[in-house]
Amino acid sequence: MVEGAGGFLAWLGASLVVLSDGRRGLALGVLLAGAGIALVSLSTAGLVGALALALGGVVAAAGRLVSGPPGWAIMPAGSTPRLVLCLASGIAALWVGLGVTNGDGASLRFAVLATVGLAGARALGSADTATVLTAAAVLALAVGGAAGLGGQSPYAAPYLLGAAIAAASSWIPIRTPQIPTKSEDPRPGPRSGSVSGSP
Amino acid sequence: MQPEAVELVVFAAVALVVALMVAQPAASRRALLVRGGVGLAGTGAIVAVPTFDLALLVLLVLALLHSVVDAKRSFAARLRLPAMGVGLLALAIVFARALGPDVLDRFAAVGLAAGLAAVVGVLPYVHSFDAEEPASSSPIAWLAYVGPAVAVVVVADAQGLLGADAGAAFSACLLGLGLINMVWGSVASWLTETTSAAWRYSFMADWGLALCGFGITLVDGRRAALIVLFSIVLGRLPLYLASREAVRERVVTERPINLLVAAALAGSAPFAGFSARVLLLRGATQLYWPLALVLALGMLLWLPASLRLGRSLGVPRGRHALGVAAVLALNVAVGLYPLPLLAAARL
Repeated sequence: MVEGAGGFLAWLGASLVVLSDGRRGLALGVLLAGAGIALVSLSTAGLVGALALALGGVVAAAGRLVSGPPGWAIMPAGSTPRLVLCLASGIAALWVGLGVTNGDGASLRFAVLATVGLAGARALGSADTATVLTAAAVLALAVGGAAGLGGQSPYAAPYLLGAAIAAASSWIPIRTPQIPTKSEDPRPGPRSGSVSGSP
Repeated sequence: MQPEAVELVVFAAVALVVALMVAQPAASRRALLVRGGVGLAGTGAIVAVPTFDLALLVLLVLALLHSVVDAKRSFAARLRLPAMGVGLLALAIVFARALGPDVLDRFAAVGLAAGLAAVVGVLPYVHSFDAEEPASSSPIAWLAYVGPAVAVVVVADAQGLLGADAGAAFSACLLGLGLINMVWGSVASWLTETTSAAWRYSFMADWGLALCGFGITLVDGRRAALIVLFSIVLGRLPLYLASREAVRERVVTERPINLLVAAALAGSAPFAGFSARVLLLRGATQLYWPLALVLALGMLLWLPASLRLGRSLGVPRGRHALGVAAVLALNVAVGLYPLPLLAAARL
């Protein structure tokens, strides 16, 4: 029951990251995803690993709350394809995690499949730095949680490292890329004997 | 730890020293040392960590660090594909570890090959490229500095994760990707408008050979892949760095040194690329002879692009000339006697 709720929370959190353009929505998304992955990982990661993942989600959410586009901006106009993506990936992950595969850890499989898929899609589809960093944080938590897929992991390191990446990624200061104007272009003109274009 | 991967980290360290030799202004050398050192440490960590999950997380750290350095492209553009590569590799882990029908293992094989392509930045996941960007923050860092060791780690871990049937599917994916990159990379390097882009495509063409080597599951294939990766890290990368100034100033020269560099880039005898090509053709002939025929025809495409790139080097002087000479000498040494390199990698 707890693992099922964790899987749902992880999917909901990753879906919020996909559907939100504002810092509050993104923060809530990474918080829920972290909590969900921690719950489904409890049996394989142990208390320390699960707590680390949850804490990673909390710190990432706190960092996102202080930077990024303001407001919630959940499901802004034109976000229907994103909503379809969230529903479709949830159904596909549920089918693969519970129907196609068998054995213990169905909730963990579902959570990892759904969050990795959604976070990867969000990172690919967005040009906003805060959004891509939040997607990277969710991805780090999911990859950390995936360490328990082969049974109980002998190392706590994947959980701790996944949590640390998620926590740090929301606090990364980003500089705007320098695009030189035409007058600032430092390139000299072609020299004698030079060619440009195709040979 | 994979001895091949350790060897590639050592190559990357040597490449960093050569890069410092051929880098132009003092300020850029300091930045190159810091960024190169961080990249080297990250690559070393990917090779050293005991599990594939940890390697993926270190890869994600490296992708984040690479994306935050000053560059022309946006942060999102730089992080997008390496992060997607990590995601694909993570999905491959889920499919490989789950109990279920055999087709899941094949999905894992496809995920591993696609994830590797996305991380390295070869077709069909080519990273965006800005010719004005410093090499340390451009996709060349993935193609020629971090990528080779990552590829060896992914291929080695794939052998542990996949069964025999899925392993064959993985090899087929690598061969397919390799052939596409060989042809696309060498033709694009020859015909593309800008010389910087031509250099980038030439890295992709070399990666095509390396992927084919990994796809040929015989020992000759692995040997060929290692030598091709050597020629990328300690051949093409330093020569690309040495040519950047001349490319920026659009200088084109046709001196003997330019022909020599073109020969090295084309994989002619006695350079390292030649022995790699011979091993690759031998392995392909043992596996399936028509593949060797296709590879041999594809290898001819290197020549026009290499002549163009060789001319773009300009005439190296001083420290540059020393760096280019060292690179050519290393490539001749490995081309003539690759045994120590292969023995160190236990191949």
